[in-house]
Amino acid sequence: MTIRSHLNVLGIVATALIALALGYHNAFVLNLVFVGLVFAVLGQSWNWISGYAGQISFGHALFFGCGAYASALFAVHHGSPWLGLLAGAGVAAILAVTVGFPCFALRGHYFSIATIAVAAIAEITATNVDALGKANGFEMPILPAGLGTLQFTEKGHYVLVALGLFVVAQLATIALERSRLGFYLRAIRLNQEAAASVGVDARAAKLTTYAACGALAALAGSLYAQQALYVGPEDTLGLPISIAIALVGVVGGLSTVWGPALGAFVYVALARYGGAKLGGTGNGVDLLLYGALILIIVSWRPDGLAGIVHSIRRSMKRRVVEPST
Amino acid sequence: MTVANERAPLLEIRGLSKRFGSLRALDGLDLHVPGGGLTALIGPNGAGKTTAFNCISGALRPTGGSVRFEAREIAGAPYHQVARLGLVRTYQVVQPFAEMSVLDAVTVGALLRRPHVAEARAFAGSTIEALGLGPKRDIIARSLTIADKKRLELARALATEPRLLLLDEVMAGLTPTECAAAVELLREIVARGITIVMVEHVMEVLMPLADHVVVLATGKVIFDGKPSEAVNDSRVIEAYLGRP
Repeated sequence: MTIRSHLNVLGIVATALIALALGYHNAFVLNLVFVGLVFAVLGQSWNWISGYAGQISFGHALFFGCGAYASALFAVHHGSPWLGLLAGAGVAAILAVTVGFPCFALRGHYFSIATIAVAAIAEITATNVDALGKANGFEMPILPAGLGTLQFTEKGHYVLVALGLFVVAQLATIALERSRLGFYLRAIRLNQEAAASVGVDARAAKLTTYAACGALAALAGSLYAQQALYVGPEDTLGLPISIAIALVGVVGGLSTVWGPALGAFVYVALARYGGAKLGGTGNGVDLLLYGALILIIVSWRPDGLAGIVHSIRRSMKRRVVEPST
Repeated sequence: MTVANERAPLLEIRGLSKRFGSLRALDGLDLHVPGGGLTALIGPNGAGKTTAFNCISGALRPTGGSVRFEAREIAGAPYHQVARLGLVRTYQVVQPFAEMSVLDAVTVGALLRRPHVAEARAFAGSTIEALGLGPKRDIIARSLTIADKKRLELARALATEPRLLLLDEVMAGLTPTECAAAVELLREIVARGITIVMVEHVMEVLMPLADHVVVLATGKVIFDGKPSEAVNDSRVIEAYLGRP
């Protein structure tokens, strides 16, 4: 896709979501859209390190939780989450470099296992620290609504804020694909040794990317916490969250600009909407459906939903061209 | 620049050794490569030629010894840093970025000296053109023929604008016509001022091309001199054929 077509799609999506956020007042649907946008951002963050750079992370909840806890703590103690939002992003970036420095020396599955371990350590820590509310987590006070507190009376306004972050993540990805770092990450994924032989500092490229991933996922975590008005270890740092983030990336299609967004909305539609419809009595049916979908996509179209969309577009173009030839 | 500096070899290796367990793949290798021209590194299988390339380029950390490139010690330096200094190698078994187009793969090399993608792409384009890969610039590396993969490997290395190129059997597996084209290519590269050290088995290719031949056997240099002398040297003949 050219830059122009990326921007066109982004413009259409943003316009449609703004119209929905301001004009449609169904709290349930708006909440789904909000969660979808948060997961689209998380999936994109995951896609940078696991898609483009090929380092599969199963511990992305570490950064999500980092942002959630940081902004929640500042909301409780200082009445505004903003400093916490920035601090969370900064801490997540530092954590990413700290974790990445030893772990990027590991190849393949070992990196993935290390990411699980580090996120588990964070979850156990949060479960045992008094200031973080231990296993129960803690609730946030209801503050005067507005951008200053990131609390709103209208669900639609949460959607707008999440949309802002989503647009930033998409623009950053479009730029990444066309940058030196983007080329380097692809080269590292395809053949790290050959990349090093022509001067690519693989560790530096991965660390830079991982730090940015951490910051982005933390920002998503902050927004999520401000909307939920609650943070807890399981909800923000748990392995299921890490796996959900990875699944969003895989289902959508690795190393594509739009894969994570597609994956996020399928995930949210199935796991949340499906969960609401099928859950309760038939608990777990939604997960069953989701698992089946992953199996189908991974065995039939490993390039994910974005790959399917791409081939549909190509075959449509061919059909338009054919009569004239 | 002082006279002494001008005389200093581009690459100066002293006592380079590499052990894999009890195997001494390199056993005190000494090698001087003057700037300009083409040095051939030959020797029977297992002599340590590829290990030498790995240790010089930084792909492997040597067990001991010194490698000086442009009077700077690089033994044990990280692989990518050695490439940054202007010493780049190619692989005996081609290592393409399989899913990238020819142009993108060469762009990765060009980005070393040109951080802007547009500039790097343009430079990669002209490098590809110069190596005769122009018509294949949009082909995915995986589907190239072996000869073209080798050319791609060379293009990627050249796009980093090295001062010293280590070529590991770039001719192996090429047809005689492809070989002749490759020889012309190497002459052009040397004419552009890039020094080449190449490992090669095809002797009739090497002899007219090399200014300087170094013969390796069991991790040591056993001959260092002119190509015409190498073929008559008793130590070289013994290394290849055994003692009569």
